[in-house]
Amino acid sequence: MAELDVNLIDGLAALVLLTAFLIVATGRMRTLVRVFALQSLALGLLAAAVAYSTGYWHIYIVAALTILLKALVIPRIIDRVMDRIQVANDVEPSVRTPSSLLIAGGLAILAYYVAEPLIQSGETITAGALALSLAVVLIGLFVMISRKKAITQVIGLLVMENGLFMAALSLSYGMPLIVELGVFFDIMVAVLIMGVFVFRINRTFDTLDTSFLRRLRD
Amino acid sequence: MGPVREGPKRWLVTLGTYSFAATITLGALATVAALVTVRKERLCINLSFGLSALASLMGLLTSISVFLEGSMSFEFTAIPFLGPFAVVIDPLAALFLAAISIVALAASIYSLGYVQQFIGRYSIAKFCALFPLFLVSMVMVVASSNVFLFLVFWELMSLSSYLLVAYEHEEEGAASAAWLYLVMAHLGTACIASCLLYLSLMAGSLDFHQISLYAGQGMTELARSGAFLLALIGFGAKAGIVPLHVWLPQAHPSAPSNVSALMSGVMVKLAVYMLIRTAFQFLHVDLMWWGLLTLFVGSLTALLGVLYAIAEKDIKRALAFSTVENVGIIFIALGAAMVFYAQGMMQIAALALVACLLHVLFHSLFKSLLFLGAGAVVHATGTKDMERMGGLGKGMRYTSILFFIGVLSISAIPPFNGFISEWLIFQSLLLSYSIHDVTVNLLMAIALGMLALTGALAAACFVRIFGSVFLARPRSEAAKHPRESHRSLLLAMSILAGLCLATGVLAAQIIPMVDQASTDVIGVSIAGQLTDGWVLEVDGGEVSSVSPILLAGLLGLMIPFAFILVRSWGGRTPRVKGKTWDCGTPLGPRNEYTPTGHSQPILRVFNPFLRGESSLSSDPTSSPYSRRGMTYSSSIPRLFETYLYEPVARTILGVARRASIIQTGSVQRYLAYIFAALILLLLVFR
Amino acid sequence: MADLVLALIQTAALLALAPLLTGIIRKLKAWMQSRRGPPIYQPYLDLAKLMRKGSVVSEDSSWVTTITPYVCLISMVVAALLVPAFVTESLGFLGDLIVLVYLFAMTRFFTALAALDAGSTFGGMGSSREMLVSSLIEPAILLSFFTVALLTGTTSLVSVTSVIATSGASLIGPALLLAFAAFLIAVLAENARVPVDNPSTHLELTMIHEAMLLEYSGKDLALMEYSSMVKLTLFVTIAWSAFLPWGVATEITAPALALGVIVFLAKLLTLAVVIAVIESSMAKLRLFRLPNLLTGAFMLAFLAVMSYFVL
Repeated sequence: MAELDVNLIDGLAALVLLTAFLIVATGRMRTLVRVFALQSLALGLLAAAVAYSTGYWHIYIVAALTILLKALVIPRIIDRVMDRIQVANDVEPSVRTPSSLLIAGGLAILAYYVAEPLIQSGETITAGALALSLAVVLIGLFVMISRKKAITQVIGLLVMENGLFMAALSLSYGMPLIVELGVFFDIMVAVLIMGVFVFRINRTFDTLDTSFLRRLRD
Repeated sequence: MGPVREGPKRWLVTLGTYSFAATITLGALATVAALVTVRKERLCINLSFGLSALASLMGLLTSISVFLEGSMSFEFTAIPFLGPFAVVIDPLAALFLAAISIVALAASIYSLGYVQQFIGRYSIAKFCALFPLFLVSMVMVVASSNVFLFLVFWELMSLSSYLLVAYEHEEEGAASAAWLYLVMAHLGTACIASCLLYLSLMAGSLDFHQISLYAGQGMTELARSGAFLLALIGFGAKAGIVPLHVWLPQAHPSAPSNVSALMSGVMVKLAVYMLIRTAFQFLHVDLMWWGLLTLFVGSLTALLGVLYAIAEKDIKRALAFSTVENVGIIFIALGAAMVFYAQGMMQIAALALVACLLHVLFHSLFKSLLFLGAGAVVHATGTKDMERMGGLGKGMRYTSILFFIGVLSISAIPPFNGFISEWLIFQSLLLSYSIHDVTVNLLMAIALGMLALTGALAAACFVRIFGSVFLARPRSEAAKHPRESHRSLLLAMSILAGLCLATGVLAAQIIPMVDQASTDVIGVSIAGQLTDGWVLEVDGGEVSSVSPILLAGLLGLMIPFAFILVRSWGGRTPRVKGKTWDCGTPLGPRNEYTPTGHSQPILRVFNPFLRGESSLSSDPTSSPYSRRGMTYSSSIPRLFETYLYEPVARTILGVARRASIIQTGSVQRYLAYIFAALILLLLVFR
Repeated sequence: MADLVLALIQTAALLALAPLLTGIIRKLKAWMQSRRGPPIYQPYLDLAKLMRKGSVVSEDSSWVTTITPYVCLISMVVAALLVPAFVTESLGFLGDLIVLVYLFAMTRFFTALAALDAGSTFGGMGSSREMLVSSLIEPAILLSFFTVALLTGTTSLVSVTSVIATSGASLIGPALLLAFAAFLIAVLAENARVPVDNPSTHLELTMIHEAMLLEYSGKDLALMEYSSMVKLTLFVTIAWSAFLPWGVATEITAPALALGVIVFLAKLLTLAVVIAVIESSMAKLRLFRLPNLLTGAFMLAFLAVMSYFVL
């Protein structure tokens, strides 16, 4: 395998992680969606690079689908939802941004630490990306936990999914095509349903702050 | 007594031995002289500190002779059944002896002028007697090569410094600070004593040399680790590592400044000295996690120390917290050395230890300089509060320049000495890439990050201290008419300032000396690879180098050159004195940035670590647009006191209260206790 | 001998080009904002003008104010001696990347003190804020340098440059890219560019770097301005030399040198465009938003070091 391919793949994986950090760092909803689109684009390119270097044609399809759905369609849907219910442009984190960044950094280090033995024994050329993808998954989860708005939680989920996708790519050059397609379909439906949900939450409570959902208990 | 080593330069060894004897004798004489001349206070000062200065010079002579001709040792018998007491000064001890001597020399000269302020307020003879006693006990701590002897002088050092901390007992907080110090010191001593006595029990001898040969053999891994942990806690408490540092920022500032200089400059380093001996020579660092633990504790100490230093308004307390920070840096280097040693990478271990020892030496120079400078400032203004200073640079020009040299050194500005040790520590941490263990790499990377952060924060801290003390306009009546310090104060500070610059510029010449000390410990000499006299080089695959002497030469030559060039270029232009730009409103002291204001942004950002609280309130007025009488208050809680020490203290007090029911006051009852204890002992040691 | 001469020529070029780079950035910004803008050589004229002006010194100030411009100038000149730009030669034995960081720290240290010296509120504000920015960005710079040091096995900038430049593509990876990203933020933060500071503002309450220079005038101001121009040039040069040095001349032959010079100028121009685009399209961040960006840079640099170890 050519060295350049590995470098390219690792570089793109690093870009995916970088965008995950940007998602934590940004304070604007619109930027958040743009950064997510950028992350998906990087992920799509990564998949294409993997396809190129391994020669598996089905990964090309996955790559194309990733770019189409996650980088173009889903951000558009989220934008649409935000337009309709007129979300304020602030992210409203429940953990302050510098602390969030430090926590995200800590999570990344944890991921590195955990993944290290796997990387040493990995056979695929993309093994190095495993640590990065684990970090992205954890950061996605953290975004879901630490951001109040329902839409940010959707984005956190999508970031997690991106991380999982990258992990699948790096461990076994992706799952079988049919599984991938199923996942894409799932995500698509999930986003749509979430969109409706967010809309409902907004109408019922006049806010998107999910901490209000706690009132449902009583 | 007589020198054991024979050689061509025997006279030098003899000189070393006699000068060592002279150090002790002169020190003891100084104490006696102080006690004899109680009534004549000026004579008492001159005699006592004059003799102390001489004793320090002799100590310096001793260490020089050791560096030139190798270790010196002799034995004497004081208590028959404990065997002969060995006194050994090897290069490691000599390095610390040199640090003690230089700082003590400066502090003694400084005291000649400084102590006069106490005449009529406190007992002069008490101070003049305790100071040399403290000095001698520190010298003997380094020279002792016997557990019993060591512990006796260690205790003497703690007690004499306790009395010196409590010296200005009328000052607010001095008594309680001293008490806290005493408690912590004894907590530490308890750990140290149990560690060292256990080791000597295992070795079957109280002699250091015997312990280093035999102690490790009979011990299990668990026992060795336990002994190391005891040593780390015991010496750590003395050195002031987090969370055992709480006494340090209380006790060091409460002492008179000449004593603070000795305590911060030297005494905390003696804990490092003995930790090095215990870890490397007695226990042979065979487990890597000891080093990693030390490294981690060091990183934490460095960062928290500097953050608290930035928050502090009291100049001496800020310096004390900065000592905590630097102890952290020293522990980082020490931990790295231990990790490399345990991995068998002796070359790199030697590099890290050299870096550690250099930082010990350099820190003792610049920190004592800063404490002496702070003492001069406090004396001139009558306050320790930096809020009430400002503008002292004009009245105290020379003090400000000397203090500035200390500030540059501690902020690691090249070519001053702090930079050299920091550079070497960075280099040795970077060389950890050759260890293929992700835990080690992770901790080393964290240490690198923390050290980098600490360095930047320390610069911010000292910009704030120097700026708010010496620059701008005075902010209180007390600071308006400062008088330049006494000659002896300036002389003492000049010695240290000169050494700060010289040891930085001539680092390549100092390193072989320090290398001797580390060779003693690690067994590998690195000076030959590290320096050729002009540049310092570290080889990590490719060579990295720095040349302090050429760098200093370039900076030193080019600045005056630029000065002349720029002044002549474009013709001589007028330089007019004018008012500071004030936007039309006359500037008063209230328009200035205060130390609180200066550090507020940083504290706000790092508040998640400090948990500080601040509030802003204003007096009610009729108009919503103009406010008067705004009050801003902020406080940084003492986290460790609140969340660690107070619960522990409460528990202990509770237990003590329960236990106090056995204390009835009846003599028969007490006798019964003794009897019961006797029976128990007889049963146990049957 | 040839290498020494080349190194000195290179330093001289860096020192001479510094005002030009500032001029170019200003011109580019003007174009993007549909202005004509001053000619790109305007900074030279400004400096020459200032050199002929007299200066007013605050009566509250001390010797710190007097020596600071010279210390800043000389530390930047010495730093310029250590940085390879178009050829991998420099007086690198004098000092390595760590020395460079501390030379920059030295400039900042003196500037921040001089800002406090006159006792003006603006100066104090600038000094305090500068220390906030530097306390977060200096560790980021050090860590990103340590990443390349680990990759190449040396902290000497010349060796770093030549090792990366001659290694083909084998060193490209997450570590290098993350470190480069962190350093790019540092370039903006250390040189008082948007979004950290606005170099063209004169609104006292928002500025950082300019606030510190407020009390300087005449020759002293010229020196301070010139040293910050050199600092910007050096940062831009280091961003390429330490992280992406390809194209630099690694041997002393005429074609290699010619290529090196052309590539170097192209690189300078590229970052100038990037800075101009950022400054035209972004607003300055509120002061207490800054830590978001700066902690981000620190985290990236830290992850770069970790990526070196793990990946």
